[in-house]
Amino acid sequence: MNRKRTLLQIPQGTESVILEEAYIHRKITGRLGELYESWGYLPAQIPVIDFYDIYRPLLDEASAQKIYRLIDREGDLLMLRSDITMFLAKQTGLSITEEDLPVRVWYGDAILRHQELEDISKNEFFQTGIELIGKRGMPGDLEVLMLLAKTLETAGLKGSFIHIGSRALFESCFAQLSAEKKKKIGSRIINREPWIDLIDKDEDSIPDAAALLFQNLFQFIGDSSAYRDFCRENSENLPQEAAGNMLYIKTVIKELEEFLKGDNLRIDLSEIGTQPYYTGIVFQVYMDGLDSAIASGGRYDELLGSFGFDCPSVGFSLLQRKIEPFIGNPEELKPHKEIIHIDAGSFKEAYLQAEEERRKGKIPLL
Amino acid sequence: MGLPKGRLFETVSDLFEKGGMGFSFENRKLMAKDATGTLNIFLVKNADLPTYVNYGIAGLGICGEDVIYESGYRFYKLLSFPFGSTKMCLAAKKGYTLEDSRKQVKVATKFPRFTRTYFHAQGIPVEIIKLNGSVELGPITGLAPYIVDLVETGSTLKANNLEIIEELADIQVYMIANPSYYKLHYQEINRLTEWIKKELG
Repeated sequence: MNRKRTLLQIPQGTESVILEEAYIHRKITGRLGELYESWGYLPAQIPVIDFYDIYRPLLDEASAQKIYRLIDREGDLLMLRSDITMFLAKQTGLSITEEDLPVRVWYGDAILRHQELEDISKNEFFQTGIELIGKRGMPGDLEVLMLLAKTLETAGLKGSFIHIGSRALFESCFAQLSAEKKKKIGSRIINREPWIDLIDKDEDSIPDAAALLFQNLFQFIGDSSAYRDFCRENSENLPQEAAGNMLYIKTVIKELEEFLKGDNLRIDLSEIGTQPYYTGIVFQVYMDGLDSAIASGGRYDELLGSFGFDCPSVGFSLLQRKIEPFIGNPEELKPHKEIIHIDAGSFKEAYLQAEEERRKGKIPLL
Repeated sequence: MGLPKGRLFETVSDLFEKGGMGFSFENRKLMAKDATGTLNIFLVKNADLPTYVNYGIAGLGICGEDVIYESGYRFYKLLSFPFGSTKMCLAAKKGYTLEDSRKQVKVATKFPRFTRTYFHAQGIPVEIIKLNGSVELGPITGLAPYIVDLVETGSTLKANNLEIIEELADIQVYMIANPSYYKLHYQEINRLTEWIKKELG
């Protein structure tokens, strides 16, 4: 392929959106922004580039490989914004104080990271989301989950399911293991694969019975009724902290079901967090017709501390471009005003006529 | 559910037929329903099956670990089948060993991803020549002294004066699921998985 043809393509990891598609995209972003602002969330706009070294310790290998890096004029290594939560955590950590808490921010921004050619259709180029900073525990988790449910409702995403799990539950079961071993077991749990073969009875201090119990635990997926039964059968055999984390999920679901129909809520204990910075409740949203999760989130109480401001946080992000083709009633997002062509003598006449038509609510084209 | 064309299809088809969920493809069609109407089944090229499952076109698929690994996609492996298993092997002309290559190893294979991962894990530099079939021709024609390929009985190797230098991995057949599809339909999929386990005995 000659150079000109190569340059006419777009580099992998970004996209171009124009005309009516861009209009609809901005309308949806605006509508979600209105929802978030009605809950007291204010917008945040964060840099597209930042210094790579400050984020490197927070990245797993797979994420690090997808980052676009560049060198600035002073020879420092920079990176393009590949994850909004991390970038936002640093910026808010630097600009807010204890007195400001809790802080509520929303964003709608592009993310720029390498994707394999085959993954372009995954449409992971634009995230909309919220971060609730400085609200600890259940009140914060419930607020964010309710707002997530409202987001799905506002977007008209029928047939979507929120799967709720817990990083804290995972950590409480495997507290005594090395970071490396936890990472391996975590990967198997996420893929719903057996992991007991990774346990070294002597080194890891997890008896066979406990390992079997944990294996069964992290396979659980079901509605609230099935989860209550599961808790009754299993929680008394768990370590105290793990049993406490199971009860926490049960309580969260009970509170949510006061307002939400339970049939789009599921407890899925194989959800232990898609990012290494999660510390508490975690969740992802799935929808029929789509090949991967459309939204993800959770509690991350230590991330801002990495940037010098120790503060609990919880939030979610939605892969907006992925769900745009499925937004309920796309017709109402299109421009409705009548478009008319002005055909007048001079420019002055045409301009005045166009102004008159605009006052009447039409869209005149000169 | 996506099923691969070829020998594996026949075995899976018999299994489903015995259990009352038989299916047949009419007039060269590539899509069919099973007898109970539970499954929409379509026939795909073996190497393409993971692609269909990855994009959620097929929520489920039955195929070997070789194509799963080679695709690089992430799936849930729901159950393994007692049939269709093979071995991934390193082979060469009779009497040849790995020590016969001084610098890097030149390997012809249909499985470049597996081959690269294997040799890099051994710390051996490898030059990979991708082929789509009849890989045994590699050493015979002088294209590459070694091949990495699936071996069942070894009769094709023997017939071409080749032999196994090393068995690299056991390759099993799995029923796989797109993770998102599984989460949305876990109850029906678990029921199907249990039914298959029962039919397998």
